Amino acid sequence: MELVNKFSTKFAQIKKRNKKEHIDIVVRMFFLISTVISASFILIIIVFISMKGIIPFITDNNGIGSVNVIRFLTGSIWLSGTAFQSNLYSVGFIIINTLYIALLSLLISLPLGVLTALFIAKVAPKKLAEFLRTVVELLASIPSIVYGLFGSGVILVFVYNFADVLGIQSKGGNSVMATVLVLSLMTLPTITAISEVSIRSVGKDIEHGSLALGASKTQTNFKVILASAKSGIFASAILGIGRALGEATAVSLVAGNAKSGPTLAFFETTSTLTSTMLEGLKETTGIDYDIRFSVGIVLMVVIMLTNVILNYIKKKVGNVDVK
Amino acid sequence: MSKKVFEINNLDLFYGDFQALSGININIENNKVTALIGPSGCGKSTFLRSLNRMNDLIDSCSITGEIEFEENNIYETGFDVINLRTKVGMVFQKPNPFPMSIYDNVAYGPRCQGIKDKKILDKIVESSLISAAIYEEVKDRLKANALSLSGGQQQRLCIARAIAMEPEVILMDEPTSALDPIATLKIEELISDLKKDYTIVIVTHNMQQAARISDYTAFFLMGELIEMDKTNKIFTQPTHQKTEDYITGRFG
Repeated sequence: MELVNKFSTKFAQIKKRNKKEHIDIVVRMFFLISTVISASFILIIIVFISMKGIIPFITDNNGIGSVNVIRFLTGSIWLSGTAFQSNLYSVGFIIINTLYIALLSLLISLPLGVLTALFIAKVAPKKLAEFLRTVVELLASIPSIVYGLFGSGVILVFVYNFADVLGIQSKGGNSVMATVLVLSLMTLPTITAISEVSIRSVGKDIEHGSLALGASKTQTNFKVILASAKSGIFASAILGIGRALGEATAVSLVAGNAKSGPTLAFFETTSTLTSTMLEGLKETTGIDYDIRFSVGIVLMVVIMLTNVILNYIKKKVGNVDVK
Repeated sequence: MSKKVFEINNLDLFYGDFQALSGININIENNKVTALIGPSGCGKSTFLRSLNRMNDLIDSCSITGEIEFEENNIYETGFDVINLRTKVGMVFQKPNPFPMSIYDNVAYGPRCQGIKDKKILDKIVESSLISAAIYEEVKDRLKANALSLSGGQQQRLCIARAIAMEPEVILMDEPTSALDPIATLKIEELISDLKKDYTIVIVTHNMQQAARISDYTAFFLMGELIEMDKTNKIFTQPTHQKTEDYITGRFG
């Protein structure tokens, strides 16, 4: 009898274990399927965009003639619209515009964001810091079209008047400056939030080490805390520049969509890869439609290259070779 | 009788409502090593941190009584804390080098005091690293990141960083508790060398260490100073029964 009991408990144990193992296998399969689905979406998008985007270069586009790849990548004029019936599409100047604008906006939002983050993390009293953190999170969650509306309703007017004061006639405020300001506003919350987290996570021991050496709070914040958080701050800059490069809606409302360039002057109209893709997308056909996909390929490559380069720099800058 | 660096009178320290130190009276002698021993939570680290006002960083901390450093009460309103900390350096339990080069770590303190001349900084860095007995190991890679050093080297770097300020006192809060025995031995040798030029106050959990390196030993228990005397007296014929119980390992 005792033996039977022993066997039955043993059997129950094996059954239990088997059930657990089964669940493990099912769950593992489930994870795998989810991963395959999400990964294949990325692949499908890339393949689809590439297939559409390659059409203007390899067909004669219903008699208009194929687009020259070299001229497309390096030229300085964009003749859009079905009316022109031309194959003169170039994004060379638009690539420069896009990078120029993203860089300028980062020059504003990075210092501003990092200083704000430093204030929230280290200087502000607890309650104020809590409040500011909520504000920053709210700002980060505002949809881009709202930033765009604010841009065209407020910033355009401001830029127009500002240019007027300087004696420059701007095209309704649509300009490099307006675009840069809108993008700075949009990237500011992201940069602030991520920098704040990385500044806050700098160890107390390092802060105390600095204070114990007779450094003031300000010296400690700028020389030690920021140096310790630089990798996180750099990450925030990468995300910020990613948003600046990829933002379409708000930018197309304030950029002015220049058809030639590049535009370096602050009060001239400009255009970015995204605004170029978006402009009149729904009202056009043929080559003028397909070429947007070619711009899409260029945009993806630009973003990818920027990320690779920035990550390389980040590794160089933030690399601590720990034994 | 040698010169007193610190004179502490009736020091009480509270964290909120909790009294962490009560009625402490101690003199810290010049160019001697004073060890603070006692079980965990007895207030010895708290006492150490009150000597360079690092307790100021804890919001709920309040203090009554006097701590006189070179005959000035350091808790007087208007006292220059930053100046105090340049004269009373500190080495922490866990090595805490800044994430920058070895050179910049040592030069940090002097730079914060406004020294910019490269030649002077070079000299300070070199002599500090020599004094901290780490120069030979790092002289070829002063530009390397300090975090690439081993734990023991990092701790000696932190000592060099404190020395670079040319302080009068170096406070050490269990400086070897995170280190292996060999690194510990090196730091102990270093402390014996340093006491020629500096007054050292060291908190330690290790009674053998206190016996090996210190001239005076103070025994803390439950926030009170039970006994302070010459180290060999404390370890051979303590006055108080509690001290004897502690150093013979009967509790704590």
